[in-house]
Amino acid sequence: MQLARRISQIVFLLFFFVLFFLATYPLTSKIPVDFFLRMDPLLGLSSTLAGRALFIKIIPPLVLLLLSLVVGRFFCGWICPMGTTIDGFDNTVRTKKKKEKTSNHLKWIKFSILVVVVVAALMSVQLAGFVDPIPLFTRTVVTVLYPLFVWAIDGFMGFMMSISFLEEPIFRLNESLRGIILPINISYFRQSVFIAIIFIVILGLGYYHRRFWCRNLCPLGALLGIFSKFRWYRRRVSDACTDCGVCRKICRMDAIAPDFRNTDQVECISCMDCIAVCPVNAVSFGFTKSRESVKVDYNRRRLLTAGTTGLFTIGLLKIGFSKPSLKGKVVRPPGAFEEPVFLDRCIRCGECIRVCSTSGVGLQYATLESGWEGIWTPILLPKVGYCEYNCNMCGQVCPTGAIKSIPLEERQKIKMGTAHFDKTRCIPWYYGENCMVCEEHCPLPDKAIKFREEETVTIDGKETTVLLPYVDESLCIGCGICVNRCPVEGERGIFLTNADEERWID
Amino acid sequence: MKRRDFLKTSVYAATAMTFLPDKSFLHGQSTIPDLVVVKDGTPESMVRKAVEELGGMSRFVSRGDVVVLKANISWDRAPAQAATTNPDVVAEVVRLCIDAGAKKVKVFDRTLNEPRRCYKRSGIEKAAKEAGAEVQHILERKFKKVKFPNGELIKSWELYRDVLEADRIINIPIAKHHSIGGISLGMKNFMGFLGGNRGKFHRDFDVKIVDLNTKVKADLTILDAYRMLLRNGPSGGNLADVELKKIVVAGIDPVAMDSYGATLFGLQAGRIQFMQNAYQRGLGQFDLTKLSIKTFTLVS
Repeated sequence: MQLARRISQIVFLLFFFVLFFLATYPLTSKIPVDFFLRMDPLLGLSSTLAGRALFIKIIPPLVLLLLSLVVGRFFCGWICPMGTTIDGFDNTVRTKKKKEKTSNHLKWIKFSILVVVVVAALMSVQLAGFVDPIPLFTRTVVTVLYPLFVWAIDGFMGFMMSISFLEEPIFRLNESLRGIILPINISYFRQSVFIAIIFIVILGLGYYHRRFWCRNLCPLGALLGIFSKFRWYRRRVSDACTDCGVCRKICRMDAIAPDFRNTDQVECISCMDCIAVCPVNAVSFGFTKSRESVKVDYNRRRLLTAGTTGLFTIGLLKIGFSKPSLKGKVVRPPGAFEEPVFLDRCIRCGECIRVCSTSGVGLQYATLESGWEGIWTPILLPKVGYCEYNCNMCGQVCPTGAIKSIPLEERQKIKMGTAHFDKTRCIPWYYGENCMVCEEHCPLPDKAIKFREEETVTIDGKETTVLLPYVDESLCIGCGICVNRCPVEGERGIFLTNADEERWID
Repeated sequence: MKRRDFLKTSVYAATAMTFLPDKSFLHGQSTIPDLVVVKDGTPESMVRKAVEELGGMSRFVSRGDVVVLKANISWDRAPAQAATTNPDVVAEVVRLCIDAGAKKVKVFDRTLNEPRRCYKRSGIEKAAKEAGAEVQHILERKFKKVKFPNGELIKSWELYRDVLEADRIINIPIAKHHSIGGISLGMKNFMGFLGGNRGKFHRDFDVKIVDLNTKVKADLTILDAYRMLLRNGPSGGNLADVELKKIVVAGIDPVAMDSYGATLFGLQAGRIQFMQNAYQRGLGQFDLTKLSIKTFTLVS
């Protein structure tokens, strides 16, 4: 069984990465690439409460919850890609001899986090995305692990290529890997360092004891734990037990009671390690009628404290100075819901940023552009990348529908914002010389950038006629390719704002 | 035959010819014209005819050559939108090269939209691959900064390695309107070989485009005017701006090719600055009256 668990963990982790690699153009995967996010009950709960709308995709999380009622927190032990990564890290980096510590005094924290998330969701603030392991792991893969992998492979290839006889084969290898495990174009992401630090801290806590995150911090684990409390499928110990205590020592979740027989059903993730180590084969897993459980160390006072903390946190976010009208540079992807709903639904998983990095590269994590409440929401940064006219993949992969999935023809008419010329930078406007790069790239059939011929004086005083570009604001959809391709260095000759943006309303 | 051998042979042949008493056959009916214009056929048949009348592909491609084809794959547009070279034209050129014994035919372009989308929607990836070409996406690492010894404004720029190493280069532009260049034809098409910030090229475009063409030279240019984008170029997008012309032009002289291409838009090369510059810098002849042009109309 222990072997079966390990295989399951590896298979699901690989599956996670397969889906990650499928989340790219042409996005033809039959399995939804946001599979893991969609089956996450905490995200389902939080987005449903915060978004005040019942999810259409609510079925998979419900199935998972109902399964937990029967077989317990198997998700943590058998499926969760974060849990698998933590196990992998714990097993390789931790010194094996180290004595396991009990951590009963910390386990309550995850319930408090869960309460904060739920209270926030009730107050219509989406916090689940920051602390739920699935979006956390997805985000880390998108902005840290994969870019690091690409950087390493690419750097290695660059190094190998400097050896002359290897140049040709490496080029061929590079070309054949591209579009499969290497991207067509290497992209970079904002916030990578910050997101990496969080991930490293989570892994590093494993130094204190195994599965630190899962035992003490993970709110998804807390939610599944609550449902696992009265499970039928549980650990059983026969009379053969010799009280040797090995099982308790090796339990990664510290779920075994000091008498070695009772099990904390909330914490046990059914990893089956205790079966494997028992010298007298006294431990087994199976369906029982017993409803006994170890008392968990969380009390009403702590939950109340957590609830109140949550309330004040939300208050702080809400009184933040973040008038929408002051956020002119915050351009959202096409099909994004109106800002309040968008903020409630977005779980910051980074799926949209992932698919965008394989197409126009325009979507990046916001820092504070749209206030504290909008941290890590996707915004279009046209200097980095643009919104590809024939692409609607961000809406297709959004697991919570914060970005609506819209047919291509309709999406091509959605106005994300408007481009404006900076007449002190633009070549024709400032220098009096013809340039047409913005117009050339404008994807609209009728061109949102137009020219009018005017007499002008060049910067060195010569009289001339020049084609002056201007934006037809009724046509411009704010895709930002004009900004992206403007040849003026430093600040571009054209910029993008969210003026006249159309946001999705149900 | 390698390029060097070919050049050697050509020089010998040319030298030999100057000693011939009667040179009239060089201008007579039987000789090969400077430009071949073929009308009213399918893209494939017109390409075949044009190359045949220019002396056949074996005149340009020898056994074992690595040939680079520069089709225009810049945009995420369908063939009917005429922003990219017709895929059937590209495929036919690929086949002719392979029949002539080319070792490898490479098709690539530094696209302006997402590369996979451009390669796919243009239909060129599929058509060229089926015809036997190697279709690869641009690898940023393969751009190499090289000197442009004859450049006036462009002294050096990043050029694609495969271009520098090719035995033969065949340019297959599509005839398009271009908002500042006036029109986008063969000489402009070579911008797809460039790395770096190409937007900068558009200032003093008329000089820089000639600079580029002093460095990269096509052995053969085949102009696709099967469909022409008459307005809102070079990216287009509106079918109302496209006209079905059913013309293919082929020739060696890049300036003559562009000059003839201009007439398809009702423009005269004499009024197009970059063509004049190209002529003055010795890249070719824009005066069509000084060229022999053969026109064929295919009966379908």
